[in-house]
Amino acid sequence: MNRFLQSINARELIRPLGQMVVFSLGSAIVLSSIVLTLALGLDQTAVGLALQDKYNVSLYTYTLVNLPQVVIDGLTIGFVYAAIALGYTMVYGVLEFINFAHSEIFAVGAFVGVEILIALDHSGLLRSASLGMSYVLLTFAIISGMVAAGALAVTVERVAYRPLRGASRLVPLISAIGVSFLLQDLIRLVEGLTTGDFNRIFPSFGNFDQRLNFGKLALGETTINLGISIKSIIVIVAAMLMLMGLNYLVNATRIGKAIRAVAQDRPTASLMGINVNRIISITFLVGGLLGGAAGVLYALKFTRIDPFVGFFPGLKAFAAAVLGGIGNLTGALLGGIVLGMLETFAGSYMGVFTMGAAGSEYKDIFAFSILILVLIFRPQGLMGENVGQKA
Amino acid sequence: MITTGFRQLFDRFNHGLWPCAIIIGHTLLGTFLVYSTPRSSLAFLALVSSFFSLYYFKADTRFKIVAGVLLALVVIPVVGVRNIFYLEVIFQICVFAALALGLNIVVGFAGLLDLGYVAFYAVGAYLWAFFGSQQFYVLHFAPGTQPSNLPFLLPGDAFYLFMFLAIIVAAITGVFLGLPVLRLRGDYLAIVTLGFGEVIRVLANNLDKPLNFTNGPQGITPIQRPTMPEPLVDSFNNVFGSLIGHQASIADMYNVMFYFLALAMIIVIIFVTRRIDDSKIGRAWTAVREDETAAIAMGIPLVRMKLAAFAMGASFAGVMGVLLAASRTFISPESFSFMQSIGVLTMVILGGSGSIPGAILGAATVTLLNLQILQGFSLYLSELRQSDAVIPLINFAWRDLSTQLDPAKYQRLLFGLILILMMIFRPGGLIPAKRRKRRLAGEEAVTEQ
Amino acid sequence: MALLETINVMKVFGGLTAINKVNFQLEPGRIVSIIGPNGAGKTTFFNTLTGIYSPDGGEINFNGRSLVGLRPDQIAARGISRTFQNIRLFGEMSVVENILVGMHVHLRQSPLATLLHLRKFKAEEAEAENKAVKLMQYVGLRGVGNELAKNLPYGAQRRLEIARALAADPLLLLLDEPAAGMNPQETEDVTRLFRSIRDDRGITILLIEHDMRVVMNISEHICVMDYGEKIAEGTPAEIRSNPRVIEAYLGRGAVAGQHEEKLI
Repeated sequence: MNRFLQSINARELIRPLGQMVVFSLGSAIVLSSIVLTLALGLDQTAVGLALQDKYNVSLYTYTLVNLPQVVIDGLTIGFVYAAIALGYTMVYGVLEFINFAHSEIFAVGAFVGVEILIALDHSGLLRSASLGMSYVLLTFAIISGMVAAGALAVTVERVAYRPLRGASRLVPLISAIGVSFLLQDLIRLVEGLTTGDFNRIFPSFGNFDQRLNFGKLALGETTINLGISIKSIIVIVAAMLMLMGLNYLVNATRIGKAIRAVAQDRPTASLMGINVNRIISITFLVGGLLGGAAGVLYALKFTRIDPFVGFFPGLKAFAAAVLGGIGNLTGALLGGIVLGMLETFAGSYMGVFTMGAAGSEYKDIFAFSILILVLIFRPQGLMGENVGQKA
Repeated sequence: MITTGFRQLFDRFNHGLWPCAIIIGHTLLGTFLVYSTPRSSLAFLALVSSFFSLYYFKADTRFKIVAGVLLALVVIPVVGVRNIFYLEVIFQICVFAALALGLNIVVGFAGLLDLGYVAFYAVGAYLWAFFGSQQFYVLHFAPGTQPSNLPFLLPGDAFYLFMFLAIIVAAITGVFLGLPVLRLRGDYLAIVTLGFGEVIRVLANNLDKPLNFTNGPQGITPIQRPTMPEPLVDSFNNVFGSLIGHQASIADMYNVMFYFLALAMIIVIIFVTRRIDDSKIGRAWTAVREDETAAIAMGIPLVRMKLAAFAMGASFAGVMGVLLAASRTFISPESFSFMQSIGVLTMVILGGSGSIPGAILGAATVTLLNLQILQGFSLYLSELRQSDAVIPLINFAWRDLSTQLDPAKYQRLLFGLILILMMIFRPGGLIPAKRRKRRLAGEEAVTEQ
Repeated sequence: MALLETINVMKVFGGLTAINKVNFQLEPGRIVSIIGPNGAGKTTFFNTLTGIYSPDGGEINFNGRSLVGLRPDQIAARGISRTFQNIRLFGEMSVVENILVGMHVHLRQSPLATLLHLRKFKAEEAEAENKAVKLMQYVGLRGVGNELAKNLPYGAQRRLEIARALAADPLLLLLDEPAAGMNPQETEDVTRLFRSIRDDRGITILLIEHDMRVVMNISEHICVMDYGEKIAEGTPAEIRSNPRVIEAYLGRGAVAGQHEEKLI
């Protein structure tokens, strides 16, 4: 036992945890100060007065009161994006290929997890479950979603990507788009045949819908409720655990070393006796596991899923991977958190700041704007290194 | 084995007078079948496929042109007015063929994967939808609250002007969108164009405030059409009335007109595309597609060439958008989804990336699969549902089949399967692009020595 | 005046200085070789000259004007053509079309003339085609004008790359290991071709080459690079007896003269 403990590389467990805390706090503080400054500045202008007229509240107070919830929502979705983004970034790192179908891997994970819980709900198990049991069942659903998504990711690679490995770049990408579309309709087909309904609802059980209240913060005349829903805690903690696990796998194990070797130089890795096909399969497996778990967590947080649920989270997670620097694990983590935060802040405050002209309806294309700006001005991403094009 | 056997059979009949006989026979058979059995998919396929025997068999060019003109300008309108459903299908094939030809320039020639191509289609459609309707006077009303007796901004005949304007506006949009992103590597470009496509759709959905430009998700209607001269309708009826069996109404004639316009656009697009492809620009596009580094070292300005391809593809889509808005008299953001972009991409890939006949074949095949096969399957399923039939072994009654299962809505499945299978088994497409063989005078002289 | 002149050119990748303050002058009408061990920075030097990399310092002047800050296509239009170490042809295009791409900068072809096939367009295309066939024959390719470039045998691909580079009527031709992978007979043929390109067409040639027979045979001047720096320059005879060059090739401790024949 002692030897086992010694063999664990503690540094590789603590480092990602520290990074996540730094990234979360950092983006929260930066964005909060930006909106608060904006609110202060606009308080006495037409924007502030319009709000005053309508709800009898000053812009600054409005901003401040909503801030804690916005930060928590942003972090929750940010960690989901980070978990999906890691799937993109790992595959890109190894194959230089955008796995367009990763968003549907995520959706399949969500559907498998939710369908299992719905089945348990119908059998009455969920309602009679004790609190501890409901956590066990949730874990079971997450793991089922992970396994299904991981198996699917490996299968997709084997069937639709591997035969195209020698072809030009766009060929596997087009195939991946085909897989993405095919999977969307296959989910729809299976759901249509078995349940007759494409929109599935995450059953409510356990104490996940409750909120933990940490009390109230009084600031002058206004009071701010400090609290967090248990759902959000579960999503954040589960995502953190997985991200730490992934970081450990990649940076402190033999398999991780092989993955890094294949990512750097596939022919040489192959000469060194590494089974490249196996490592690529493992990469897809790991990406699929993370994506599947993210799917179930997403369903837990947002309750409703449909066969196209993967599209926007998938694209945003890709944007996050590019924002952080594609191929870079820490970058995907940072990109996911920053993008989730940015998007939630924009969705929550843009409507008020623009007096209703542009609000949360533009939330979904916000990520694209960031993606495009990053690609134009810093294509290597926040944490990537500038690599010259090979002549 | 089968293909070589087929090849031999094909070659045996592909000389002398055989081709002419086959083409005439095929066309007559198709016409007869469509004439005698309205709404039959197979009869319709027989007629449409006669275009391909026209393309494939070797015959005198003059004969081909005459046969093609008769088929496109006489047979199809007559059959189409007799049964307007066929004309609608043919019109859709033409619109998608034009779009596929436009995307083919971007994807097939220049090798730029554009996943947001219908954005330019939307630009054209909304351009005419805004100026060719009452929308200008609706600017200050929220959707659904405008008074009912608003005037139109422009006369319907401005449509023709806007077909030209759309070329320019869409090309400018293409340059504007392309400029910042065309430096990117191919796969990033794909995602960014996808993003642009979504941005355009979201804008169309949400620009009903602060000023009501697009009328939001409800879309803009009515959109004007150009005027239809009465004498034209009368003379059409005089000539073809007896063949059709009933008097063609103005609405029928509008359908014929838009079909002709779409056909004319296809011919213009093919002409322009072939001329450009066979010049230094076309060679530069192929070079850029094959090897960017080598191309730029040969003095080819990468970004400018890519922009040219982007703008050209965009302008074709813009024109077709104007045509769509006028023919439908209604436009909503739904027509410009990501799925539509992938649909057009599927047509290009299925037919053969970089191949002009391929793009048309791809458009025809995918549209027919969509409209005829999937919907036919849907009809069949709903008949089964109403019957007492039971699947034998598993004892499943068709009646219990979920009504949510509607094959007509499974286009994504179709597109996805086509894309994957083509990439794995036939990446060149059904009719792979061919390089033009040059008659190299100087070279032959030398080899003979 | 020198045709090409670099002053203190630098190129740095991350922490690695790939080219370190290289000063180099190329007189017009010469055949000059750049030699050096693998990783010496020769190809990086070419890529910096042709604008694929932008220099991190220094000046590059060509034909009296600076090339710094120009895009590769602009530099090509100024009159520098090149071939690549690992052949980069347009595989799906025919042999003639590959050469026609090389003429891109010289073809006028206004959009209107292209669309309407005006007489001047047709005349220009026909002339270009003729010129392409002549170039093909000049480099020793016959009867393959309509073949796809990817279907040519290796030696013919190397020749086609040279023909494509010549199609741009360059002032300076950069050849990156043009004899790599060729048998002695082929090597001798292309060596003759290079000399003819300079003698008959007046094109200055700068080449990177590992095959010392080629280098010593045709170079009038040789520049030796190692670790990104120019370590020697001179006539073949001078280079052959330069101790620094021998050290770079054979390692420290090798005595000049003893291993001379190996270098040659």
